[in-house]
Amino acid sequence: MDTRKDPQQPVAPGAMFSPSLEPEMLSLDQAAGMPVPAEVTPAQKPSSPLRDSLRRLRRDVRAMVSLGIILFFVLVALIGPPIYQHIGGPYVSNVNGLTLSPADYHNYYHEELDRQDEGPSAQYWLGTDQLGRDILARLMQGVLISLFVALFVEVLDITLGITVGVLAGYYGGLIDQFLARFTDLMFAFPGLLLIILVSGIFGQSADAVFSHVPIIGANGNARLLLVGLILAITAWPLMARYVRGQTLQLKEQQFIEAARTAGTTNLRIILRHIIPNLFSIVVVASTLNISVTIVGESGISLLGLGVQQPGSSIGLMISDATQNIDTYPWEVLVPCIVLAIIVLCFSFLGDGLRDAFDPRSKD
Amino acid sequence: MAENLLEVNNLKTYFFTRGGVVKAVDDVSLKIQPGETLGVVGESGCGKSVTALSIMRLISSPGKIVDGEINFNGENIMEKNQNELTDLRGSKISMIFQDPMTSLNPVYSIGFQIAETVKRHRKDVTNEQAWKRAVEMLDLVRIPDAKRRAKNYPHEFSGGMRQRVMIAIALSCNPQLLIADEPTTALDVTIQAQILELMKGLSKEFGTAVMLITHDLGVVAGSCQYVNVMYAGHVVESAPVKQLFETPAHPYTVGLLQSIPRLDDQRGVKLTPIAGQPPDLLNPPPGCPYAPRCPRKQSRCLQERPELMQVGRGNQLAACFYPVV
Amino acid sequence: MIQFLVKRFVGLLFVVIGVTFITFVMGINAPGDPIVQLLGQHYTPQAYAALKHAYGLDLPWWQQYLNYLHNLFTFNFGLSYEYPNRSVWDILSSGVPVSLELGLWALLLQLIIGIPLGILSALRANTWIDTTNMGIMLALYAIPVFVLAVFVQVFILWLDNITGGSSGINWPVAQWGVPWHYGWSDIQFKIAPILVYAATGVAYYARLSRTTMMEVLRQDYVRTARAKGLRERVVIYRHALRNAMIPLVTILGVTIGFLVTGAFFIERIFNIPGIANITLTSIYSRDYPVIQATTVLLAVAVVLGNLISDLLYTAVDPRIKIQ
Repeated sequence: MDTRKDPQQPVAPGAMFSPSLEPEMLSLDQAAGMPVPAEVTPAQKPSSPLRDSLRRLRRDVRAMVSLGIILFFVLVALIGPPIYQHIGGPYVSNVNGLTLSPADYHNYYHEELDRQDEGPSAQYWLGTDQLGRDILARLMQGVLISLFVALFVEVLDITLGITVGVLAGYYGGLIDQFLARFTDLMFAFPGLLLIILVSGIFGQSADAVFSHVPIIGANGNARLLLVGLILAITAWPLMARYVRGQTLQLKEQQFIEAARTAGTTNLRIILRHIIPNLFSIVVVASTLNISVTIVGESGISLLGLGVQQPGSSIGLMISDATQNIDTYPWEVLVPCIVLAIIVLCFSFLGDGLRDAFDPRSKD
Repeated sequence: MAENLLEVNNLKTYFFTRGGVVKAVDDVSLKIQPGETLGVVGESGCGKSVTALSIMRLISSPGKIVDGEINFNGENIMEKNQNELTDLRGSKISMIFQDPMTSLNPVYSIGFQIAETVKRHRKDVTNEQAWKRAVEMLDLVRIPDAKRRAKNYPHEFSGGMRQRVMIAIALSCNPQLLIADEPTTALDVTIQAQILELMKGLSKEFGTAVMLITHDLGVVAGSCQYVNVMYAGHVVESAPVKQLFETPAHPYTVGLLQSIPRLDDQRGVKLTPIAGQPPDLLNPPPGCPYAPRCPRKQSRCLQERPELMQVGRGNQLAACFYPVV
Repeated sequence: MIQFLVKRFVGLLFVVIGVTFITFVMGINAPGDPIVQLLGQHYTPQAYAALKHAYGLDLPWWQQYLNYLHNLFTFNFGLSYEYPNRSVWDILSSGVPVSLELGLWALLLQLIIGIPLGILSALRANTWIDTTNMGIMLALYAIPVFVLAVFVQVFILWLDNITGGSSGINWPVAQWGVPWHYGWSDIQFKIAPILVYAATGVAYYARLSRTTMMEVLRQDYVRTARAKGLRERVVIYRHALRNAMIPLVTILGVTIGFLVTGAFFIERIFNIPGIANITLTSIYSRDYPVIQATTVLLAVAVVLGNLISDLLYTAVDPRIKIQ
């Protein structure tokens, strides 16, 4: 069993881009002892596989709770800032005497320099950081950034992964060879290294070059785009591998042969028969990869190579607050705990999805 | 009559699964004389493997032996502790399994796997002596060039040869009983014959009793003195082999024999399968387990479960109220 | 065997060439002109030309690349841009033993803690021991190393507060280096970073060991071993474990990958002057030769790790024949 080469392994969160394996994808089973004799398996009742999977998922408490928490975070990140910026009354700053509205002091970049390092209060719900910025606002912005990057990366990951994976699995040949060599290279070369290099060397110039492009703008988003691109580049070979594996399996099945004998073109077969059946594996792999992306973006920002001040990222918040870890541990613990929760939730959800789609690995 | 080597009385082994309780073995009794070869026949799922594993006490969760006595040499195996059981296995009672391709550990040489059994059960044997014995056994099961091949690994052998190695392991400590669970099912027909011949010869030479489990009546005919037919976790017929084939008593046995195509059948003669479905072991219906499919059933059969009772001449037993004989 | 080694070595060569080419190209195309930066205020066209020549940067790019490769084989990584009279190797070599010490300890811990935990879980599958164990392992695995580092640091601070001691949060730099010190104070300082560094790998090995062990315990040959009357302990350790170990050997390359990526965070957070930390500093100061050198070194380490695990795999599984 060469676990490294087994395509059934999705990527690990928190383990930073190493081509790692989700060990539970290999079959788990009951304890030591005999294989259960054939007499024992009870009869199954017929039902749509998708509905079965969803039912199984709903029964998985851990996964459901995780899904809830994730949705909560998404909601807060999206509508939190506008709401938060309407809560609270006018505030007269002691620094320059100006009167500020919550839209000012509840956004993520506003510094209130005489309100540094405060604990939670009515005005600043999670307190302030070392530059007097509202921690809750920065947190929400950081989560938003993480989610955007994750979305961006996943879209690329899924598109590239499915395209190359299906072609490699269905047609084999050159594409398959290319995929194999590329994956080997990716496996041999730690992804984080690539990201550090690229953002380290090209980050600043990327910012300069793209600062005039609309939407991307000047405040470090170009760098983020770069990080996202590299994360996607590191992620897609693994997705392609799963898709390829699944395609190979599907290709051998009877209904494909039936379709082919009926004269269906290859393209049609791919679009109507193969791709829809990739759903489960793509969903599971994506969910688990989102953890990796979020951790990756945080890590890069923590090293100073991702989101730049005055922008906010969970990683940046952590690295900022590390200096004061002995005096104001709260500032560093908040983003850490939030990150840990998000990552764990995606992991549980990914595990739950995988078990729901492939219960064979549990029973 | 000589004292029974093995006597199983009212064995019940159930599996407690999430879907319910599967009564894999539901009140099975059988006996084997020293040196005798008993055939245990039945379709997949009838409980023959579970019976064998129960005798060896190798049943584990979610399975459990819930009732019954297993008397070996007069002692009840059900009352023995772990130490005594491990002493028994491999030295007094041995077992070989169906799939020789996976039954041997791939990372140790076959010589080692035989020798370790010897060393386990014969305390005063040295490594060299154990290895010598291993080579002897390989010779005995007719592995050519045994001395050299003892150092080879399982993947360097074919299926048939691996099964011979299994036999060598099983017989290395001269057990009184060898349980063979479908030993030839996974092998080619020609190899099958060789293995059966080998087992027969060794059994005769060493006086080893054999419990030969199979679904193949042909195997039984050639190798066994006595036969038990199992269905749905019960023994439904028990007879000397000749009588079983000449005058089968239980309708299931009759059905089995009728369904086998024969060399002297006319061309175009249709096969006669047994009508109906195999039984549901989760919710067995009351009464005789075979009744739903039995052409001879009466209302009594659907309500009462028949015990094994004498039918015809001699020691032929069938669990039927209206046997064919 | 020799054929196999040669083939793999050639593969290593390809990766090295690929990696060096990528970093070389990035270096050439990197923004900013390092010569200009170096000269700073002393910029004159002559000085520029002279310095550029000294660094060999006035040659055509393919020649620069060949020179670069040639130098690599003699461990000559060129001169630093940041510190003009220090060679890159000079800068790095102080970090190599530090990172090695950190990495080797972490690897050791991963093996001697992770694998037994996984095996234990497999032997007590689905009991509370198993569930708690795997729950903790999942957490250690999923939570990123820098978050774990923060948790550990906060924990130590809290301990300090109640015990009134002071281990100091500015982990002193002086404890790491050559030779490897292990006085009591050294151990105190080193244990936290090593534990955090090893954590992800411990979790990974534990989960993998559990899976492979459970898979092995279900195999027919384990049943055969029991049927032979071997004692349970022998069945587990001699028959099951030996097979369960095989897949664990193949992931050495992956583990090195973990260690390489983790090093960046651990060394930065705990202020450890290893290669990764030096590399980060050189990224901030755009000292490209150092960046290139580290990349090559780390990539080679990962590939070597893969090579070693392939070799170990063939040694440990008699079914695999080296072609």
